[in-house]
Amino acid sequence: MYVDTLNTRLIGLRGLYRAGYRSVLAYRADLLFGVVGLVIQATLTVVVWRVLYAGHDEVAGIGSSTAVAYAVLAACIQSVVMPWQFSSLPQRVIRGQIGVDMMRPRSLISQNLAQAVGTMVGRLPIGAAGLITGLALGGVQAPHSLLDLLAWVVSMVLGIANIMTINLLVSMTAFWTLEIGGVLILYRFGSAFLSGALIPLWFMPGWLQPIISWLPFQAQIYAPLSIWFGTRHGAELLGTLAVQLGWVLVLFLLLQLVWRRAVHKVVVLGG
Amino acid sequence: MVRTWSAVREDLRASRILLRAGWRAAMTYRVSFLSTIVGGVALQGTQLLFIGVLLSKFNVIHGWRFNDIALLFAMRLAAHAFYVVPFGALFSIDQAIQQGDVDRYLLRPAGIYLQVVTRYAPLMALGDMLLGFGSLALFAPQSSVSWTPGKVAFLIAALIGGGLVEAGLQTFLAGLSFRMTSTTSLRILADDTITRFSSYPLTMFSRWGFLSLTFIFPMAFIAYLPATVLLGRTDQLPIPAWLAYISPCGGLVVFTTGLAFFNRMIRQYNSPGS
Repeated sequence: MYVDTLNTRLIGLRGLYRAGYRSVLAYRADLLFGVVGLVIQATLTVVVWRVLYAGHDEVAGIGSSTAVAYAVLAACIQSVVMPWQFSSLPQRVIRGQIGVDMMRPRSLISQNLAQAVGTMVGRLPIGAAGLITGLALGGVQAPHSLLDLLAWVVSMVLGIANIMTINLLVSMTAFWTLEIGGVLILYRFGSAFLSGALIPLWFMPGWLQPIISWLPFQAQIYAPLSIWFGTRHGAELLGTLAVQLGWVLVLFLLLQLVWRRAVHKVVVLGG
Repeated sequence: MVRTWSAVREDLRASRILLRAGWRAAMTYRVSFLSTIVGGVALQGTQLLFIGVLLSKFNVIHGWRFNDIALLFAMRLAAHAFYVVPFGALFSIDQAIQQGDVDRYLLRPAGIYLQVVTRYAPLMALGDMLLGFGSLALFAPQSSVSWTPGKVAFLIAALIGGGLVEAGLQTFLAGLSFRMTSTTSLRILADDTITRFSSYPLTMFSRWGFLSLTFIFPMAFIAYLPATVLLGRTDQLPIPAWLAYISPCGGLVVFTTGLAFFNRMIRQYNSPGS
């Protein structure tokens, strides 16, 4: 008799994880250009921030070396966790493959999340290349303490869960309309800006900071990195992690709600 | 083979027909039309926000004040519109090859390149254009340039030239698609590097950085070199000033090279079979 244990569940999802992983490795040239690209961009980023800081000791309370390290680390993390093609869902709806996906004995949400994790793991070499470049240029700082490092790991995992959930939420627009190219671009660049992947919140204008800190995006990259640089201690650190966890839970609940409505909207094209 | 004037006229007629069809198809769906344009604005708008936030904190980048960086930024955005509105469909070259569309293009009485760039109307480009010309109208009067008719003419030539530089680079890379399965990431890399870094005073990337961005990956011709002429800053360049004065012609050189390479690479085309 077939028993749906945790183990058999994971076996199914492992296949999808592998599919995501392999989809990155299959196009060697793309991966190579990703690596070369991040090496070039990390180098230019270091120069830009150092030139910006010429003649300033501190801006908004942040010193030059922290700002440079933030920019490099954010670029590396962004290249791994925010790929250009962040979900195959819209394509699968357009091509009608969604029909097969929905017949599989795993929920569509877990299938997509497993695949997204695979894609991120496949892109790790790109981030590593950027990190090595940053280190070689003396542009990266290690966390102040082991505790900060551990807290960063927890915070980064929560940040990634946040990104993956919102990615999937946005991709589900495809169930309502197929013309979502504009929406996806708007989301891609909007979230890059609001998450702190381009500029840390420290440098944002005063009126914008409270708005951004109430949005879920800052919990993706800005929150983990501010922990990395030791700007949060004690209760503040725990508060940050709690807010991140809260966002993941809220977003996941929202995802379930949207998915429940989407099920009734699914049209299997060419099916 | 010598191309006669009538052949050029044929091509122009063909491109008019193809362009009209493309734009009509793109404008059929109103909501998607609008959301796509908004997407285009967002793409370049984040960069505008980025520079804006930085300058509000730092005021000066490599000796350039806020208003002159803003001009440089607006010039690069407007030049980008001159690339992405007419040539934006080049982005889909990989699909055109993989889906076998190029087979059909070979049979039709028009150039392959022409048919690739008129494959569809790049709606998102209208967003780029809106933002580019909008920011130019806003920032050009505030810059430290004292505008004369001659300088305005130079600016227009520079914008078209800058667009052609980008078009030439992308055409060159698109030519590689006839040999490689996927060049999308390479072309996104070029586009992204230009988007992120071409609106800085490029001499800040040290002598060798500047020289490679001028002669190897000629990003400097897009906006920086013409801007140094307008702002009277050519003395900062490690290259002769006359090269900056003729920089609008750089676009013609890069585009001609890119197109020649593309047309050469077509011979390598293997039909995917369909």
